[in-house]
Amino acid sequence: MKILYIEDEKELGSWVFEDLTRRGYEVIWLTNGEGVQEYLETSDIVILDVMLPGLDGFSIGKRIKKSYPQIPIMMLSARAQMDDKLEGLQFADDYVTKPFHPDELEARIQVLARRFDRIVPEEIQVQHLRYAPKRYELIHEEKSEPIFLTAKQLHILDYLIKHAGQIMTKEQIFEAIWEENYIEGDKTLMVHIRYLREKIEKNPAKPLIIETIRGIGYRLKL
Amino acid sequence: MRLNRTLQTRYLAMIVCSMLILPIAFPLASFVTYLPAIIFKDDIITYNSTEIASLWHEAAEQLSSPMQEEIIHTLENWEEMYEEASMFWVDEWGRTRFKTDPSLPIPELWNPSYTVSFMKDSYGGDPFTVVAFIGSTKDDGFLVLQIPRVFMDYPIRQLEEYYQYIYLGMVALVLLVFISLSWFFFKRIRKRIVQLQVSMDVKDKGIPSRVKVGEKDEIGALEESFNNMIHQLEEGRLREQEEEQLRKELIANLSHDLRTPLASIRAHTFSLGEEEKLSSKGKQSVAIIDKKIDYLHNLIENLLSYTLLTSGKYTYCPRDIDINRAIRMSLTAWYPIFEKEKFTIDIQLHEQTVYWEIDPNWFERILDNVFQNVVRHALSGKYIGVLFDGKTISIIDKGQGMKEESFNAGVGIGLSIVHIMAKEMKISWEIKSSNTGTIITLTKE
Repeated sequence: MKILYIEDEKELGSWVFEDLTRRGYEVIWLTNGEGVQEYLETSDIVILDVMLPGLDGFSIGKRIKKSYPQIPIMMLSARAQMDDKLEGLQFADDYVTKPFHPDELEARIQVLARRFDRIVPEEIQVQHLRYAPKRYELIHEEKSEPIFLTAKQLHILDYLIKHAGQIMTKEQIFEAIWEENYIEGDKTLMVHIRYLREKIEKNPAKPLIIETIRGIGYRLKL
Repeated sequence: MRLNRTLQTRYLAMIVCSMLILPIAFPLASFVTYLPAIIFKDDIITYNSTEIASLWHEAAEQLSSPMQEEIIHTLENWEEMYEEASMFWVDEWGRTRFKTDPSLPIPELWNPSYTVSFMKDSYGGDPFTVVAFIGSTKDDGFLVLQIPRVFMDYPIRQLEEYYQYIYLGMVALVLLVFISLSWFFFKRIRKRIVQLQVSMDVKDKGIPSRVKVGEKDEIGALEESFNNMIHQLEEGRLREQEEEQLRKELIANLSHDLRTPLASIRAHTFSLGEEEKLSSKGKQSVAIIDKKIDYLHNLIENLLSYTLLTSGKYTYCPRDIDINRAIRMSLTAWYPIFEKEKFTIDIQLHEQTVYWEIDPNWFERILDNVFQNVVRHALSGKYIGVLFDGKTISIIDKGQGMKEESFNAGVGIGLSIVHIMAKEMKISWEIKSSNTGTIITLTKE
């Protein structure tokens, strides 16, 4: 995956560059906004600092979003005030404040990439299941036979795989799948998850793939 | 300001004018009163009493043969000539034979005593009365002519009864003119003052708009001063905004400048931690450094937020927030941390949607600060409970309480922020802390 990283602070910039390269990403590191254009076409994600010499990160970010709305932008800034975050999130897809934890940075990159379908692998291993997102195909590895899901079940599973490892609230899932407001106490999602578990879990009574986070929502474990 | 343009000068001028007008007013009134008499002099009918009397006598005398038709004819002729006059004929027997005005209060038959009293009343009385014998013999009866005295007077006298009304009217008119002039004068002043007041009276903290300077008098000067004041106010406001901007930027820059090296420290600490040859003691040190970076990061965040909050510069946008949803969203970030610390997590939200009118970012901040506290100071309890019963949010831990050494500056400022934000959003909050745990409750007022 190609990351375009814009950071003027040499010490931190070089460290992040090395760290992300070590983690297997292809990183292009620029110290200012000049020449951003030529790399955008081939980038999967843009990581932007706010305080830059010349054009600031907000302006660069807005321009990028305008011409390449399909590229996720992550602001990585030492400016942590609410106003800055709100301004940043008007166009950026994530706002990470310094000092960040390197593992957190990678996790967030992964989330963004998945959200924007920047990494759509041929197949994803989900415990004893193998999922082919492009074909919406789910295979039980041990039995090597396909599992047939209803459209809604597939949609839920696909959504949770895209956000694997993250806790998704009932509202988030419901609103993403049904595209209407979640009403407190609505059992629809619960029922769908129960049927989904019956099809994918080895022991639906003790689910290992889709974990219930009581009071909050669900989390899928790869 | 030129002296002749001041309101004072004008007012004095008006008073002097009115003083001058008053003495003139009475003769003027008189003049106006007599004016109709002078104008209508020719149109007013006046009769010369002597002339009429001799004409009447002559006419009566000429009626030598007292023929009824002839007499009536004469009387009718006269009536045509003298519209204001009334005439009647009494014959030799004392009978009233003819009267031009049928309503005349005269008897049908004239007895001696009535005749005498009529003559007595008529002499020099009103109406002017002429009694003439018919013919030359004086025993053929008589003719009487009566004209109201008013037609015998000078024209001016005829209008006498209207004099007092006209005169009073004139005086009233003069006074009225004076009153309305002074009222008009005052009304103009009042209007301008009210206009000034209206433009000064601005709602929501804005600056009043400038007023148009009208005449160059005292109010004009006031308007000019008012505009000057607004100019200064605008400049002041601008300066204040600039200073505020500067202050905000300074704070933001300071925050930025503190975080940037902290980011490097964290990055390199991470690299250090990844080193394979690191001893267990070294690993312990790295963990402590990492924790302290977190602490410092938080402290900076809280300090800056606190500065902004206390100066009222922290953006506050309240709206209706679904509390269950807001708590869940906040917990998605904290759950993995509690999980990592092997907490027992107990979340019980309300079974119905409840909306509070609050700022979502502020609310998130409050929850963050509270959860942060639990992670930092109640690790030993290994328990976090988040309960929402529709009215009150309770965040429960089983740590060793906050009154002891864990209640340090960091906690203090974090909770101060919670305190200020909660107060602003009308959420009352309480901490109950003992050595077996802490309960923080948030209740919307």
